Amino acid sequence: MTMKKTDFSGIMQSKVTWAVIAEALILLVCFLIRPDFFSISYQPSTGMLYGSLIDIVNRSAEITIISMGMTLVIALGGTDLSVGALVAVAGAIALKFLRWDVLTYTTPGDYTVYPYILVLGVPLIVCALMGLFNGFLVAKGGIQPIIATLILMVCGRGIAQILTDGKQFTTGYSPFRIIGQGSFLCLPMPIIITVIVVIAVALFTRKTAFGAFVESVGVNPSASRLSGIKAGSVILIVFMITGLLSGIAGLIYSSRIMSNDSNNAGLNFEMDAILAVVIGGTNMAGGRFSLAGTVIGSLIIRTIVTFVYYFGIVAEATMAFKALIIAVVIVLQSEPVRRYFAKRSALRQARSGGAK
Amino acid sequence: MAGVTKKQSLWGRLTNPKYIMVYATIAIFLVIYAFGAFLYGNKGFLTVRTFVNLFIDNAYFGISAVGMTMVLITGGIDLSVGAVASLTGMFIAYGTTVLHLHPLTCIFAALVMGVGLGLLMGWVIHYLNVPPFITTLTGMFFARGVCSLISRESIDIHHPMIDALAGWKIYLMKFADGKWVRIKPIAFINFNVILFLAMILIGAFILQRTRFGRNIYAIGGNEQSAALMGLPVGRTKVLVYGFNGLCSVLAGISYALYVKSGWNLSLQGGELEVITCAVIGGTLLTGGVGYMAGTLFGVLLKSIIPALITFNGNLLSWWGKIATGLLLLLFICIQRVITASAGKR
Repeated sequence: MTMKKTDFSGIMQSKVTWAVIAEALILLVCFLIRPDFFSISYQPSTGMLYGSLIDIVNRSAEITIISMGMTLVIALGGTDLSVGALVAVAGAIALKFLRWDVLTYTTPGDYTVYPYILVLGVPLIVCALMGLFNGFLVAKGGIQPIIATLILMVCGRGIAQILTDGKQFTTGYSPFRIIGQGSFLCLPMPIIITVIVVIAVALFTRKTAFGAFVESVGVNPSASRLSGIKAGSVILIVFMITGLLSGIAGLIYSSRIMSNDSNNAGLNFEMDAILAVVIGGTNMAGGRFSLAGTVIGSLIIRTIVTFVYYFGIVAEATMAFKALIIAVVIVLQSEPVRRYFAKRSALRQARSGGAK
Repeated sequence: MAGVTKKQSLWGRLTNPKYIMVYATIAIFLVIYAFGAFLYGNKGFLTVRTFVNLFIDNAYFGISAVGMTMVLITGGIDLSVGAVASLTGMFIAYGTTVLHLHPLTCIFAALVMGVGLGLLMGWVIHYLNVPPFITTLTGMFFARGVCSLISRESIDIHHPMIDALAGWKIYLMKFADGKWVRIKPIAFINFNVILFLAMILIGAFILQRTRFGRNIYAIGGNEQSAALMGLPVGRTKVLVYGFNGLCSVLAGISYALYVKSGWNLSLQGGELEVITCAVIGGTLLTGGVGYMAGTLFGVLLKSIIPALITFNGNLLSWWGKIATGLLLLLFICIQRVITASAGKR
């Protein structure tokens, strides 16, 4: 009996539990206000499922994908501020290859100037290399991650603008449309891509020793170096993965709008991704990380946004609501508050133990 | 020599190796200024007006950078400054134009909001142990959201007092032919520039000449030892975020005077520009190191790049972002080399 109670208090102390409770509460409020919030319908013409829940998962795809990499970066004790700018870079390169020269190919249509493999491949490679650049500054230069990635955050959008001469291209190339707007197994394509990415990152970190290496470097880089872990390589790989994932998110984003938008693509994505990770229970000081928690964190952020849209609150005011709900989640997760709850449950246990 | 307190000469104090980053910033500023003079000297780059405009066009960044430098020295970060400054502008614009309040009432309300939010964030950071990045990010979301709740459109500011304050200027004069005349091309200093320079001086005074300032450095150097020495760590940190809130509001007022309107999306990303100013001014993001003189030249250095691009006339303004990024890279490398060689010694 006592054993079970101890387990329960352990769960209450876990940050992931609080994230799940928060998400459940927000969904409950949605359901109470709009009972049809959970309804999912099938549209035979497009062969896709529709509904608020599907929409939340679909629209959270970019942040979920990026925050998979961000989880690893934060587990290392760092942050990557450049992901939003990389989203813009990926979109700019993809659209550049699709349209190349607007003067020759004046109207957007169902064509691509360069082979499709380059349209998808080059942005991903460039983003991975930019991630590698971040990792190099951190691992070999010994620079704090937040400053090292500030560099690409500041000039990344500039690079995206220069690549496209400050122009915004649009395209109608149908294979490109599939990434952001197509469907597979009745589900929107971004959800499928997200699931693949999450599973891949989870397998890579949990089925190999890599996840343990990351946590070990995050807790104590010099100790892990002494125990034979190549901290530098771990950092390089983690930043490269984050860059690559930002590239994937950038392709999804630009496929949704079938255009490149170097000013707004990925704006504040780094903030949302970091929030998703922290709400998901990974400590910003580094160490243990939870990929499942991050997925829930990302869903919470998107649920709040959908909630606000759904109930007709001014779209731009979303941020204020997001801030309030996140503030509650973060305060609940904060160390003193969790300690307070732990103390209370321990007291209750002691009291019930005394009564016996 | 140990135990003997010897008053250092001015030269001795100025050549203290701890100021080396500040000198690096000043040197690079001078190099870029000379470069601009060499390329565009004949187009008027060397005039007093161009130089003074660096202050006029970036005063609001500079005012905010004063508070940011202090926050960074404690080892924290504040991402809310752009949004709080923008919200201040909204308060003034909505208050005077829509609600017909006196600007001073709006400014007072903005001060209460900004300083209150700063103190609250400082309290959450210290007493609830939430990372500064996350706390102030939430503060940024909140302030930006409230901006949009107030209005989604840009509101012009029309009020005699604001117009008078924005239009007030001191012309720079020179003594020629026995009387004072305005220099040509006409250059002037306005309220924003004076506020900026005053805030730099106040910030330098707080950091170098008060116990509060020494506590800030001590906390940034090592928070645990500062607490063990009995320094009021919590109070200092909360007050630093409060002071930064004050700086954000003053920056917002300065920006409102500069553009004479309030817009819910103004100064987006401003917080990073401000952090960039502080970093290229020699402030370490790890805390413990930073000087107001460095921040002053950091602001000038960051603002001279757009000026050069304007003088060139052919370059896309996006090159400015890339140049700023490269400058940041250069400074980080210099800092790295200096700290590494200091560690070896």
